[in-house]
Amino acid sequence: MPYFGSEEMVKELKRALSNPNVQADRLRYKNYITKVIRYMTQGLDVSALFMDMVKASATVDIAQKKLVYLYMCTYASDKPDLALLAINTLRKDCADPNPMVRGLALRNMCNFRMPGMTEYIEQPIVAGLRDKASYVRRVAVLGCAKMHSLQPNTDIDGTIVNELYALLRDPDPVVVVNCLRALEEILKDEGGVVINKPIAHHLLNRMKDLDSWAQSEVLTFLLRYRPRSDDELFDILSLLDSFLQSAHAHVAVATLRLFLQLASAHPAVQADALLRTSAPLLATCGAASRELRFAGLCHVQQVMRSQPGLFGTHYKRFFCGYSEPTYIKFRKMEILVELVNDENVALVLEELRSYCTDVSPELAQAAIAAIGRIARTYSEKCLDILTGLLALKQDHITSAVIQTFRDLVWFCPQSTAAVCQTVEACVDSPQDSEGKQALLWLLGEHGDQISSAPYVMEGYIDGLKTELSSAVKMELLTASVKMFLCRPRILRGGNVEESDVCVRDRALLCYRLLQRGVEETRKVVTGPKSDPSMSVLTGRQEEPISQWASTFNTLGPLSGRGLCLQTAVISAADQPSSSAEKELLPDDTEEEISLSLGPPLSHETFEKMWLDLEILHRQTLGFPRPRTAPDTLQAALQLVKIQTLAFTPGDTVPWKAYIYTRSTGTLILAELLQGDQQAPGSDESLVVSVKQQPVNQHAIRGFVSILKSVLQTLNVDSS
Amino acid sequence: MSASAVFVLDLKGKVFTEYFKELEEESIQDNFVVVYELLDELMDFGFPQTTDSKILQEYITQKGNKLEVAKTKVPTTVTNAVSWRSEGIKYKKNEVFIDVIESINVLVNANGSVMSSDIVGSIKLKTMLSGMPELRLGLNDRMLFALTGRDKGKSVAMEDVKFHQCVRLSRFESDRTISFIPPDGESELMSYRINTHVKPLIWIESVIEKFSHSRVEIMVKAKGQFKKQSVANNVEIHVPVPSDADSPKFKASTGHAKYVPEKNLVVWSIKSFPGGKEFLMRAHFGLPSVENHELEGRPPITVKFEIPYFTVSGIQVRYMKIIEKSGYQALPWVRYITQSGDYQLRTNS
Repeated sequence: MPYFGSEEMVKELKRALSNPNVQADRLRYKNYITKVIRYMTQGLDVSALFMDMVKASATVDIAQKKLVYLYMCTYASDKPDLALLAINTLRKDCADPNPMVRGLALRNMCNFRMPGMTEYIEQPIVAGLRDKASYVRRVAVLGCAKMHSLQPNTDIDGTIVNELYALLRDPDPVVVVNCLRALEEILKDEGGVVINKPIAHHLLNRMKDLDSWAQSEVLTFLLRYRPRSDDELFDILSLLDSFLQSAHAHVAVATLRLFLQLASAHPAVQADALLRTSAPLLATCGAASRELRFAGLCHVQQVMRSQPGLFGTHYKRFFCGYSEPTYIKFRKMEILVELVNDENVALVLEELRSYCTDVSPELAQAAIAAIGRIARTYSEKCLDILTGLLALKQDHITSAVIQTFRDLVWFCPQSTAAVCQTVEACVDSPQDSEGKQALLWLLGEHGDQISSAPYVMEGYIDGLKTELSSAVKMELLTASVKMFLCRPRILRGGNVEESDVCVRDRALLCYRLLQRGVEETRKVVTGPKSDPSMSVLTGRQEEPISQWASTFNTLGPLSGRGLCLQTAVISAADQPSSSAEKELLPDDTEEEISLSLGPPLSHETFEKMWLDLEILHRQTLGFPRPRTAPDTLQAALQLVKIQTLAFTPGDTVPWKAYIYTRSTGTLILAELLQGDQQAPGSDESLVVSVKQQPVNQHAIRGFVSILKSVLQTLNVDSS
Repeated sequence: MSASAVFVLDLKGKVFTEYFKELEEESIQDNFVVVYELLDELMDFGFPQTTDSKILQEYITQKGNKLEVAKTKVPTTVTNAVSWRSEGIKYKKNEVFIDVIESINVLVNANGSVMSSDIVGSIKLKTMLSGMPELRLGLNDRMLFALTGRDKGKSVAMEDVKFHQCVRLSRFESDRTISFIPPDGESELMSYRINTHVKPLIWIESVIEKFSHSRVEIMVKAKGQFKKQSVANNVEIHVPVPSDADSPKFKASTGHAKYVPEKNLVVWSIKSFPGGKEFLMRAHFGLPSVENHELEGRPPITVKFEIPYFTVSGIQVRYMKIIEKSGYQALPWVRYITQSGDYQLRTNS
């Protein structure tokens, strides 16, 4: 956008530039040219000076030439007819004895963006490709790519492509890499430059002549090459070996990526490469540039998905500095959580504890959540810290701690008692809606263990009118119904004249449920109190390297990581087996088994089948039967799609239960037994005997593990 | 290429800095002609071309001397086999200056336990040698000693060693010899990291007591935990104070303390700090009776210092051999400096 009043200025400059006195004085002349460029950069329209500037290009001063060329490139598309005149000067410069001038002229001529340019530049480019100065060849090679981008729809010129392939053997390393770049651009539609065996080997041998930029680029191109045999593969790897520890992190990381891909069939080689690159990666995490540091951290996280132990001893490198930006601190905390082990847990927790009181509430809350994650393995120490934080009486901290408690109780039920105690002792309540929801959930779910729960809840119900968030209101409704079920007290009904549709519907639902009777409501409202199968997350299993190798050293780990993590969580959550069971059943394949209810069996059919079939599997579960009400047991089993046929009432000895379920085409029948004199080991713990038709061992294993987790959960709840 | 993308910016910053000393808005505006020239050579069609500032400096000379004699020759380095050194360099007196610089990074938490510490070292060269000399550098590197079977005296285990591109990596891999043709002028030959637990060279104990609405009292004790013969120069201890503090009063057993209100710091500077000595500084600030509602972070105490003739790791240059076709005699000069890097001590207040 030309500035107002620029016309005068342009006129004045024009007068000066065409003044022979000025032209005679080199210094003054150049100063005026500089002035033109300065105005051009500031956005003034100085295109009217085009002819005068073209004249100025006839000089021996290279800097002045460069400025004039810059000017020409900027305005060529606005003044195509005048630019054609300039081309003549440029073509003359292309034949200059000084290679520097030849290169400059050629480069700028290729930068003109106007139609019909190709016919003028083609000949100089072809001549430039054969120039004896490598500087000109470099420019000419990229000129081919520019020429192609000027007219993208024309056919690819076979002779130029062949010439470029031939120039891959050029003695100058930059020419070689520029050839690759140009070919990649020109052949984009055909899948880019082809890396065959001779080219790959040639590039590999030239690697050490290239600068670090070119090295990392060539390494990326080499990803396309597949070695024919293992011998060749190992030859390549040993050639590249020294680059794994290159001084430049980006070369090291690019080499690592190539290693991971080439050696995908050799996990030992991959592991070794990862080990050797860990040093440069760690160095990047401590780089002076923050952006580089962030990139390093993201890649460390990616490597840790397969090799969590690799950085274990370096955990101190991930402690946050005071002046680091928040995005780096977040990453570092995520890494610290993953690196925790028995030896460093005390120090890591101490460090995280000091972040909890940071001025930035986001950082403090993230630190608290991180402690919560560690608490799934080291609950005691973490609970102490979290309880200590409550005493600070800072709103954002209290809220974050309560939310962490909620997640903790859900993931590891064994900490419920301790959490409930703390919540009871905590006097002030969170102020933001997230925190309120968490507190209400805790109160509703575990109200039986928090003696003050009804009073706190009443406080919330009284304050309902002033509550703004509908999410909090919904949580409050559900929680109060749950509370009603476990400690029958009179709670006033929810506010039915509520404007928010969701809240009103939830209130009506609760109201009608309660009208149906207590037992009905209980069935609907009480879900599982925790999900022990989620604890798989804490001991997240190592992913195969191939899962992330393809995105390594791309923008993927920097931006799309959240997505990856999400899918990881989902897939982990889908697996019904917990880590404890994996120890018992080491051959348990990770394949998911799903149980289904199917049509109910009659007592007669069940009896007939039970007598006909052989016992396929018998196992002592190692814990007694849950001391819960029969309905609860039945409901819990129903929840995981196991149907209960019959069981002996109350405390009769021996206690028996018959259950059945279906899974991928087989019917599983089972008997739970406790306290029978005949069955060994059954006096203290439950024994499960399984019969099946048709036989499918995998399904049995899955069934037993699901059954176990349900019964264990019930046991924890009732104890 | 995520790492690379970031690297572009980083690199441009570096190149510009070498041209203008300091990179800021003003220097770019003042030197826009050079900036255009540099960008032109650095990148073409979005592809990095010549990125070594040494080479760039040969054909993009600074504005001032450009008008006199315009260079009309492509520098040989652009086409040379040895891309980092031009042929035909001449000096009257042939000398090499070797600087071994180690910076210590320390993080001490509020209880006084060292959370992390490491040494980042670098060997810098200032080469003033004629022709194409071949240099060999010998260090007391533990790996080398283990390789040759000698294990006399002190040796140092280096990690994460990085070299300038001139060093022949294959030779280093095979027999740990650092042999190279040096770039002319100043360059960084190698850098390394040592991840051992180092005793913080300057130990700080601090008591910062904040009496709300009335005053802040600061007591800082600094102790030099290094050899008695060595002296730390230009020691600066930066102690954070609340942003609303006023009317400073200081008492220091040595050096002098200064309040820097724009950074909320007390800077206690000591010109020379002998090893084994202990110094004390007390500061007193008033606080307004109306409290500042904004939460303030707790910045750590940071320390800056420089100890000449000393390396923490004990690394030493054992020899520097200079061989050139013409057979001239050249002198290597070695200097050792230890300085503070990221040196932080967290406070309790």
